[in-house]
Amino acid sequence: MTHGPEEISERIIELLPRLRRFARSLSRNQHDADDLVQSAVERAWRNLAQLKPGAPLHSWMFGIMKNAWLDNLRAAKRRGEVALPEDSGDHPAVNPTDMNANLWSVSEAMDKLPEEQRLAVALVLVEGMSYKEASEVLEIPMGTLTSRLARGRTALAASLGGE
Amino acid sequence: MSAMNYDDETLMAYADGELDEATRAAISRDVGLDPELARRVTRHLALRTEVAGAFATIVDQPVPDRLLAAVKVAARATDTPRVNVVSLPSRTARAPARPWRLREWTAMAASLVLGIFVAGKLLPDGGEVATRLNALVARGELMTALDSQLASNPAPGAAVHIGLTFRDQQGAYCRTFVSRGMSTAGLACRRGGDWRIEQTSSVELGEGDLRQAAASMPPALLQAVEARISGEPLDADGEAAAVRGQWKPAP
Repeated sequence: MTHGPEEISERIIELLPRLRRFARSLSRNQHDADDLVQSAVERAWRNLAQLKPGAPLHSWMFGIMKNAWLDNLRAAKRRGEVALPEDSGDHPAVNPTDMNANLWSVSEAMDKLPEEQRLAVALVLVEGMSYKEASEVLEIPMGTLTSRLARGRTALAASLGGE
Repeated sequence: MSAMNYDDETLMAYADGELDEATRAAISRDVGLDPELARRVTRHLALRTEVAGAFATIVDQPVPDRLLAAVKVAARATDTPRVNVVSLPSRTARAPARPWRLREWTAMAASLVLGIFVAGKLLPDGGEVATRLNALVARGELMTALDSQLASNPAPGAAVHIGLTFRDQQGAYCRTFVSRGMSTAGLACRRGGDWRIEQTSSVELGEGDLRQAAASMPPALLQAVEARISGEPLDADGEAAAVRGQWKPAP
């Protein structure tokens, strides 16, 4: 199937709710998450030529978001930035009233996970992707995905007080 | 029955719906025989529910204009060659996507979670729930509330409040509830003369806000309602009529 920019932009717009959710599971608040979505969208358009014929658009977009997130983290580390503590109540986009308590606590627990575990958890548990799909987005073997997922789950359960 | 030997990754894959049919069926059978296995499976299901549920509502929120604009501006600014992409596979194309395979296992997760809850916390008091043929059914105060309470008119100081009442796709009545004793919001449906508990979420309840808690549902519970509801929730008259009719399925 051949698609022009018009149709691809429609398809990306359809994906935006899921991209926002994925980004939110990687970020500390919705404002940062939406910044991440925006940079992923811009990056996608710049790299559209790399979209392989026959490749599913949604896997490609999630992969771009993963790369954008990892690049942001690395850039922040280079600049010596330390992530803000949880009190960022002065942030205009952080409105405790629209955050349910569950979102708050899970988000905090996710934030403590190593990057690679967090990505595995976000794609499989939050996005509901199959192992195969998630390993394709992350460009890792399925066995690597499942072991990261297992370690991420164990750590999450511990910090959420399950065990 | 001795402990079944399943490793953690297998049980996680079970919770993720990633096992082959034979292994899945074997585990589904064995959890009924081995409480320790049930406890382990429950932990994995509960974690998945909790994590997925935390982010579930985000897909229903309106997308900020700046993101829509970013897509459109980028599209216009791009001198794009036409490229080949395949259509979304149907599993991910359904919109809004259910974050996990809800119907496949939510009911079981709920009953297991509550089952453990019951064993740990409720039975000493006589219990608001009981197990019957591996399903959880309401008892005690919870059963009384489900049987007779009108959402519009709860008894003062009641420990259980009713939220929505509706009919599911088979015509059976279902009601959402909040129980202070269990710190739980849940969904019970009328099956075989009992209120079968089909979904629960733990909730934190302050003093005196039970009525408000009954009106606002955790996302996982809302999804369970959405997966079952047929038509609109009953209004006050419909609810009163259903109480009078003793919850017999609608013709």
